[in-house]
Amino acid sequence: MTTTMPTAPAPAQPAHRGSAGGGLMRRLNFGTGVLAGVALAAVAWLLSHSLLDSAGTFFQDQVATITFIGWVVGFLLGIGAFNGPINWFRGRDLTHDDELYLAGKDLGPRRYWKFCTDHKVVGVQYFVMTMIVLFAGGVLAMLIRIQLARPGDHFVNPQIYNAFIGMHGILMIVGLIVAVSGPFGNFIMPIMIGARDMAFPRLNALSFWLLVAAAVPLLAVFAVGGISDGWSTYAPLSVQDHVGMDAFAVGVTTFIISTTIAGVNMVTTFITMRTKGMKLDRVPIFTWGVTTSAALGLYAMPFFAVALTLLLSDRALGTSFYLSFGGGTDWLWENLFWLMGHPEVYVILLPAVGAVLEIATVFARKPLFGYNVVVGGMIGIVGLSTIVWAHHMFTTGWAPALNGPFMLTTELISIPTGVVFLALLGTIWQGRLWTRLPLLYVFGFVWNFIIGGVTGIYLSDVPVDNQMHGTMFVVAHFHYVFVGSVLFGALGAVAFWFPKMTGKYLDERMGRVAFWLVFAGVQVTFISMFISGLMGMQRRVSSYAHAMATTNFISTIGAFVIMAGMIIEAYTIVTSWRSGREAGRNPWRSKTLEWQVPTPVPLENFEVPPVVTSDPYGYGEAAPPLEAPAGHPDATPVTVGAAAKEELQS
Amino acid sequence: MTLTDTPAPTPPSPEPPAARPIRWKEIVAVWLVLTAITVVGDLVVFPRVMPRSASTTMHLTIVTVVLFSVTAAPVGSLVYAGAVYALRHWRAGSGDEPPPEGPPYRKHNQLSIAWLSISAMLAVFLLVWGLGALAADNAVAQKATMTVDATGQQWLWTFHYPGTKVTTETPYLPVGRTVTFDVTSLDVTHSFWIVQMGAKIDANPGEVTTVSVTPTRIGDFDVRCAELCGLYHAFMTTQIHVVSASQYQSWLQTQELSA
Ligand SMILES: [Cu+2]
Ligand SMILES: [Cu+2]
Repeated sequence: MTTTMPTAPAPAQPAHRGSAGGGLMRRLNFGTGVLAGVALAAVAWLLSHSLLDSAGTFFQDQVATITFIGWVVGFLLGIGAFNGPINWFRGRDLTHDDELYLAGKDLGPRRYWKFCTDHKVVGVQYFVMTMIVLFAGGVLAMLIRIQLARPGDHFVNPQIYNAFIGMHGILMIVGLIVAVSGPFGNFIMPIMIGARDMAFPRLNALSFWLLVAAAVPLLAVFAVGGISDGWSTYAPLSVQDHVGMDAFAVGVTTFIISTTIAGVNMVTTFITMRTKGMKLDRVPIFTWGVTTSAALGLYAMPFFAVALTLLLSDRALGTSFYLSFGGGTDWLWENLFWLMGHPEVYVILLPAVGAVLEIATVFARKPLFGYNVVVGGMIGIVGLSTIVWAHHMFTTGWAPALNGPFMLTTELISIPTGVVFLALLGTIWQGRLWTRLPLLYVFGFVWNFIIGGVTGIYLSDVPVDNQMHGTMFVVAHFHYVFVGSVLFGALGAVAFWFPKMTGKYLDERMGRVAFWLVFAGVQVTFISMFISGLMGMQRRVSSYAHAMATTNFISTIGAFVIMAGMIIEAYTIVTSWRSGREAGRNPWRSKTLEWQVPTPVPLENFEVPPVVTSDPYGYGEAAPPLEAPAGHPDATPVTVGAAAKEELQS
Repeated sequence: MTLTDTPAPTPPSPEPPAARPIRWKEIVAVWLVLTAITVVGDLVVFPRVMPRSASTTMHLTIVTVVLFSVTAAPVGSLVYAGAVYALRHWRAGSGDEPPPEGPPYRKHNQLSIAWLSISAMLAVFLLVWGLGALAADNAVAQKATMTVDATGQQWLWTFHYPGTKVTTETPYLPVGRTVTFDVTSLDVTHSFWIVQMGAKIDANPGEVTTVSVTPTRIGDFDVRCAELCGLYHAFMTTQIHVVSASQYQSWLQTQELSA
C-alpha cells in the first residue's frame, strides 16, 4: 500500500468502559461553550483584580489580557474541544461509538452547534462563519464610506473612525483567509482526493472553534474602547493604545493558532490521504491552491503571533521591544508584521486562484491548460512571497540599501502570477462556454485581477512607491486584489460547490443580479479611489482635502452598490439553501471526485476508497479504459479498482 | 478519472472535438482598440490627476507612472481581447445540460515558454528602469547643500534650520537648491510626505531618516502625514513655501531676529 487510506471500516474496539466522559461530555455544545467562556473570563477578571497590584502602570492591560485568555480557554473547554486529551489523561480512550458521535452521526442539525469532527460539517460551519465575518466587515466598510462621502468629519469623530478602519481591516483579513479554504478546503478537498476525512479530524474541529473563540474578543474591541492603529497596529502607537488593543492581540493570536492548526491539517491531508492512483499530477488544481496556501500560512502567520506576543509584553509587562527609549524599535514591528503580511496576501489569493481554475475547466468543457506550469507557478509564488516583505518598507528608512533587491524579488513574483492568466486563457480557448453563474465569476476575476496586478507593479517601483505608499492608491490596489479577485473567486466557488454542499442550485437569476451589482460597484468604488490616491489622499484619514470630494463621493456610491449586491447574494444563498431547485449528484457534469459521490455526501464519503487512473480533466478526450467494472452506481459511483477491493476484504 | 456518471459508460467518441477557425483579425482589432484607448487614457489621466510636479523627483515619478501604464496597456489588453473573443464566439448555452466537450488542449510548450519569456522580459525592463530611477533619486542626496530637521509628533510637524535659531511649522525653501530633511519623531511612527515633490520618509522615534529633494518651482506645497499616528492623523498637515533665493534669505533673517 503506497498511500495511507482509512481502509478498515471498524477499528478494534478498546475495552468499553462506558462512553468516554459519560453523558456530560456529550451534552456540550456552543451554548455550554459560551457559558464556560464567560464564566472563566469572569473568574480570570476577579482573580487578576485580587491578585495583581491595581496601582501598577500595566494593571488594566494585565487584567484585559488575562480575562480574554480566560474566555478563549473557557469556551474551548465548554464546547468539548479538550474531551479527547482529558479522557486520555484519565486513562480512557474514545470508543468507536464516541468517534462516530464526535463525527455527528445521527445528530441531525444539532451537529452544526457542536465540536464535530466531520470535515463536511466543519466546512458548512466555516461557510456560515465566513459570511458572518465578511458581513460585519462590510457593514464597517459602509460606515467608513459614509464618513468619507464628504470631507470634514461629518459623521463620527476620529476616534470612532479609527476603530472602524482597524476593525474593518482585521475582520476582512480574517474573513478572506478562511473564505475559500475554510468552507471548500474542508468540505470539498478531502473528497476531491478520495479521502474519508481530514488527516486530523479533531484538530479540524478545533481550528474552527478557535476561529469562533477569536471572533468574540475581536468584536469586543468596540466595547472596550476600540483600537486606533489600523489592522496593521504599528508599534509604538499600538503600545499606547486602549485596552481594546489587548482584546485585538488575544483575538488575532487565537485566530493564528486556528490557521496554523488548520494549515498542518490541510498539508498533512494532501500529502498522506490521497487515494490510490491520486498522484501529485492528477490531483485537482483546487487542492494545489489550498495546500500551497496552507503551507505558506504555516510559514507566515506565526510571525504575527510573535509580533503580537511581544506587543502584549510591552503593554502588560513593561518590556520595550518596540519602544525606542528602552532600546527597541518600530522597525522590529514593521518587519515582523510584513514577514507575515506579504505572504498572507498569497495565502488569501492562492485558494481563490485554484477555485477559479477548477471552475474554468468545468464550464469551458476543456482540460486545464498547462497543469504543470500552474502548479510550478503556485510553488514559485510560495517561495518568492517569503522574500518580498520589505517592499512594504521602502519608505520606512529601515534599510535603504535593500530597496533595490526587494524591488527585484517583487518584480520577479509577477512571472509566476502571470501564469494564472496563461492557464485561464488557455483553458477558455476554443472552449464550449457553458455560461452559468460560476463562469461569470471566472471572467470577473480575470478583469479585476489584471487591474489589481498591474497597479501592484507601480508600487513595486521604489520611486513611485515613495509617492504612493500610504495613500488611497494602495488601498484601491489591494481591494482590486481582495474584493475584485479573491472575493470573486470565493463567490464563484460558492455558486459552483453550492449544489454539492446543500443539494440545491444557487438561484441563477438572483445570483446574476448580485454578480453584476458587485462587479459594477467594484469598478466604480476603486477606480475612483485610485484617483483619490493619485491626487494625494492618504489612507486611514477621517477627513481629506476638498479637491478629493468628488472622487470620494463616487467611491461611496460604488461601495453601497457592492453592499446591495452582497445583500442580494446573502439572500440568494439563504433562500436557495432552504428552497432552491434540486441539483442532484453532479449538475455540472464535472469529473472531479466530489461530484461522483451522492448528495448529501454520506458520513465517510466513500463506501470503498476510489481508485484513480487519470486526472479529472479528460474533457474532449476518449475515456481511458476502465480498470475494473463499476461498483455500486449509487453508493460509490467511482470505479473501484480490484486492488482496493482486495485490500478491504483482507 | 474513470467515471460512471451514467449507468453505462458512454463509448468514447471516435473523433475528438474539432477546433473552430479563429478570426485572428478580430482579436487583433479588439486588442489594438483596447490598447489605444488605454494608452490615450493613461496619457490624459495620470498627468492631470497627479499633483503638478514641484521637484525633480516628482517629475521622474510621473514619467515612470505613465511609462509603466503605457507598457502594461498592450499586455492587459491582450488578455481582455482573448476573453472578449471567447465570450463573443464560444458561448454554448446556459441550460441545465452542458454543451459538448471542447478540444482537449492540455499544454503548448512553445506558448508557455513564450509567455514566461515575455513576462520575464517585462520584469527585467521594470527592474532596470526602476533601478535607474532609484539611482537618480539617490543622486539627489549628493547634491544637497542645505539641511532642515523635520520632527513629527502627535499631530504636528516642526522644522528646525541647523546652525540657526529658526524653528517653524511652515518652512520656506529656496527654489532650485537641493535640501535634505533629517526626519525623526518624538512619539509614534509618522511619515513625512511632501505631496507635490514625490518625497516620503517615515519619522521613527529614536532614529533619524533622510530624504532629499530639489524644488523646481515656486509655490506652496502640502506636507501630509502618511502613516496612521492616532486620533488626528488626518490633520497632521502643513505647507512648505518654495520661494526665490533672495526671498528665502530675507525670510530666514526675519525669523532669526524674531527668534
Ligand atoms: Cu507585499
Ligand atoms: Cu503623523
